[in-house]
Amino acid sequence: MATTPATSTAPVQSPVPTERVGPPSRPTAPLRDISIMIGGQGGDGTLTVSDLLGRYFHARGLYIYTARAVLSRIRGGHADASTRAHVEPVWAQKPVQDVLVAFDDDAVKVGLKELDPHGFVLADQGSVKTEGANIYHLPLSITAASKVGNGLYKNTVAYGALSALLGFDVAAARGVIEKRFGRRGGDALNFNLKAFDLGRELVKEAGLPAPLFTVAAGSAKDHILISGNQACALGFVVGGGRFFSGYPITPATSIMENLDKMLPQFDGIVRQVEDELGAINMAIGAAYVGARAMTATSGPGLSLMTEAMGHAGEAEVPLVIVDCQRVGPSTGEPTRHEQSDLLFVVFASHGEFPRFVLAPGYASDVFEITVQAVNLAEKWQIPVFIMLDNDESENTQTTPGFDLSKVHIDRGKLLRQEELDKMPAYKRYEFTSDGISPRSVPGMKGGVSQTTGNEHDEWGHVSVNPENRRKMMAKRMNRLELAKQDLPAPHLWGDEKARIGFIGFGSTYGAIREAQRDLKEKGVPTRFFQARTLWPVPKEALATFLEGLDVAFVVEHNYTGQFARLIRQEMPEAASKLRSLVRYDGLAFRSPDLVHPVEEFRARSG
Amino acid sequence: MPEVVKPIPSTWCPGCGDFGVMAALKNSLKALSVPTEETVIVGGIGCSGGIHNFLDGYGFHSLHGRLLPTALGAKLANPKLTVIAVGGDGDGYAIGMGHFIHSLKKNVDITYIVMNNETYGLTKGQPSPTAKVGFHGNLEGPFDAVLTALSVSSAGYIARGFSGAPREAAQYITEAIRYNKERRGFAFVEILSPCVTYNDTYQLWRQQVESVEKIEGYDKSDRAKAFSTVLQVKERGKIPVGQIFRVADDKGAPALDKTLLPMVERSPASADISLEHNLPKYQKLLASLG
Ligand SMILES: Cc1ncc(C[n+]2csc(CCOP(=O)(O)OP(=O)(O)O)c2C)c(N)n1
Ligand code: SF4
Ligand SMILES: [Mg+2]
Repeated sequence: MATTPATSTAPVQSPVPTERVGPPSRPTAPLRDISIMIGGQGGDGTLTVSDLLGRYFHARGLYIYTARAVLSRIRGGHADASTRAHVEPVWAQKPVQDVLVAFDDDAVKVGLKELDPHGFVLADQGSVKTEGANIYHLPLSITAASKVGNGLYKNTVAYGALSALLGFDVAAARGVIEKRFGRRGGDALNFNLKAFDLGRELVKEAGLPAPLFTVAAGSAKDHILISGNQACALGFVVGGGRFFSGYPITPATSIMENLDKMLPQFDGIVRQVEDELGAINMAIGAAYVGARAMTATSGPGLSLMTEAMGHAGEAEVPLVIVDCQRVGPSTGEPTRHEQSDLLFVVFASHGEFPRFVLAPGYASDVFEITVQAVNLAEKWQIPVFIMLDNDESENTQTTPGFDLSKVHIDRGKLLRQEELDKMPAYKRYEFTSDGISPRSVPGMKGGVSQTTGNEHDEWGHVSVNPENRRKMMAKRMNRLELAKQDLPAPHLWGDEKARIGFIGFGSTYGAIREAQRDLKEKGVPTRFFQARTLWPVPKEALATFLEGLDVAFVVEHNYTGQFARLIRQEMPEAASKLRSLVRYDGLAFRSPDLVHPVEEFRARSG
Repeated sequence: MPEVVKPIPSTWCPGCGDFGVMAALKNSLKALSVPTEETVIVGGIGCSGGIHNFLDGYGFHSLHGRLLPTALGAKLANPKLTVIAVGGDGDGYAIGMGHFIHSLKKNVDITYIVMNNETYGLTKGQPSPTAKVGFHGNLEGPFDAVLTALSVSSAGYIARGFSGAPREAAQYITEAIRYNKERRGFAFVEILSPCVTYNDTYQLWRQQVESVEKIEGYDKSDRAKAFSTVLQVKERGKIPVGQIFRVADDKGAPALDKTLLPMVERSPASADISLEHNLPKYQKLLASLG
């Protein structure tokens, strides 16, 4: 095992000065790309502000990406969230912030490092002591406490103040509050509207030159603002998923929470069970009797599930397992970003059995791949893994509305009673040319069978016959080869003739696409292989991709360069062109982290 | 009708207590005329857990200790099925203990049969959680699953039988499955099932078993009474057997599957998942997001 990170290039700090002199000069044209960071103590409602901002900009036709870096606590500890809005599509955080909303001094400390020279800080007077030319203190919490009756409304007061400072359309900004709080009933809506108006007044009373700058409107239409976990839940339902069992764990929990709202409308069931062992085995039981079933977890829970993964593999039970990766090992950093489970997922559980490992890159891709995963599991009768990662799971982004007309349900060799009736004999593990046996489920007459995690013969009887073992291994393992055409194909982005490539999976999609855009502006064309199937490794597609390249940067969030290792293992001939680019500090790549190494490479290779 | 898998002859040691349990289960399924295609037997890992191979019906061989969540998943996904989970005392009270307690709590309509032989038969006779102090150097006192079950407030059907008395055992199992069919909840039946090879307790248990139902004034719907009676019988050096607790007809926690799926015809396994059938509702769902 390498003792140094698998890259020559350490994560690059964004090129932002931290100290500056003199009053800042403000942009005069409306900003086409804005990022607003909100920081405070956990429980300060930073997420509420970022959510309201996201909804507002979304309503204004902009593309949104919201991120959160909350510590794993409900109250106390620094928490921050950011909302980015762009006239063009965005899939990652902006390297710098234009506005910082600070509810305490820690937020100023954390946020100032990221603030653009033209930016400003809206600080909660009384809670924030730090002074500065571009720091505006307004009594957000004091006003909320004295005039709305509850200091917690400071977040909506801040939203109101921002709406004035950034020249928001007032009706649209209020509309967002109505939409968000209107459903709740009670006084929530009125209090929030009042807080919003008070925020606007504070700006006026303080005599601030509002607006300081403005934000352009966009033309994104028919887009929805959604997180990866929401997209996954929706994909599961639309893909015919009807049974989910899980155990709460960050950042996977919201899949369960979303499904809990959705599935009962479709005769489906969601169960929170006593642990991840229960979760996966319950899903296996449901899948065994014919329901499309899924479980979702993160590292620690995934570790507990391993024995059952192999059981589904040996018993040939269709099952979807979602891994929302976070920083590991052990409890690691529960709310931070990593992609370090890849090799574990590809090889997890003892013994050998086939599995597919899929990785979508952005919200609509999560939807598509989840639908596909549910089909693949049932068609090939094996466990299918979907790898998400913290930012992809939790962050919301605008995405084109999902195309439901493209969805198709493929139940594979699941038998209908009429088909079963005509069979001379029914063997659960019958040898067939594609290794997949027709499948009956309990309740079907004439389909009685034995389903087992023991090695078995065609009937499902326990067997240690060597010849049977060889045939059964081939029956199962051959699917990895036979299913290739069925698995999600990679997406290729950028210039076909470029000599510099990126390879990535999951949410690095965002930073890579943006780095491509930035490099293109500098006259550097690139190509990007967005791997959507990680196992089996898409060798043919990768070989074609690598053909015209001088170098391919394998971009991933782990220490050892796991995907690069996997590719090298499967295609040693590709090794010389691969360069690992890793980041493992819990934060997501941003465009400059990828642009710099490319520039360095070009400088060195002249 | 296609030819289907045939039960294989059992692989148990001659004289093993598990034969009595199997006979009892067979009789119960027959007495209740449960159709084979609706019978699902989920086995754990252990000598006991292989039982599904020797019986008619859909069989599922689960993992060591995980038969309960598997069986609950099967029942929750299709409540029309008659689901019976069968495993050993090691399977259920050691590695699977968490699931045991939580299954009592969840109260899904399945019957759970534990063949208690106070040892790990399949791994050749180590002490199990129910083993007595001194058995193979065991230093830890035995665990009583009936008392544990009684202490879970939603547990509504608890019985203990002896494989040396298969007629009574069959009766407890029949009642248990009937209790499930009435959608009243989870039914737990422990059956003392001697391991003649590693812990032959036949003679001892024959003398020790004492039916609580024969004790004067015993009321099996009185949880506190059941608890104290079980303790008293044990203090006399006997093993309490019988239908130890059955919640009164007008009381008891609701069965989870009944709450979630009031109509057995509509379930996760039977749902029409075609796009055509669901499209308008999917579109509505999509519109409600974001
Ligand atoms: C995870 C795991 N650990 C250990 C084992 C080995 N093992 C198989 S059966 C068994 C114990 C069986 O005892 P019990 O459940 O009482 O069943 P019995 O054989 O007595 O009927 C053990 C420990 C296993 N199969 N899986
Ligand atoms: S080892 Fe014991 S429990 Fe296992 S079959 Fe033989 S007698 Fe029965
Ligand atoms: Mg045992």
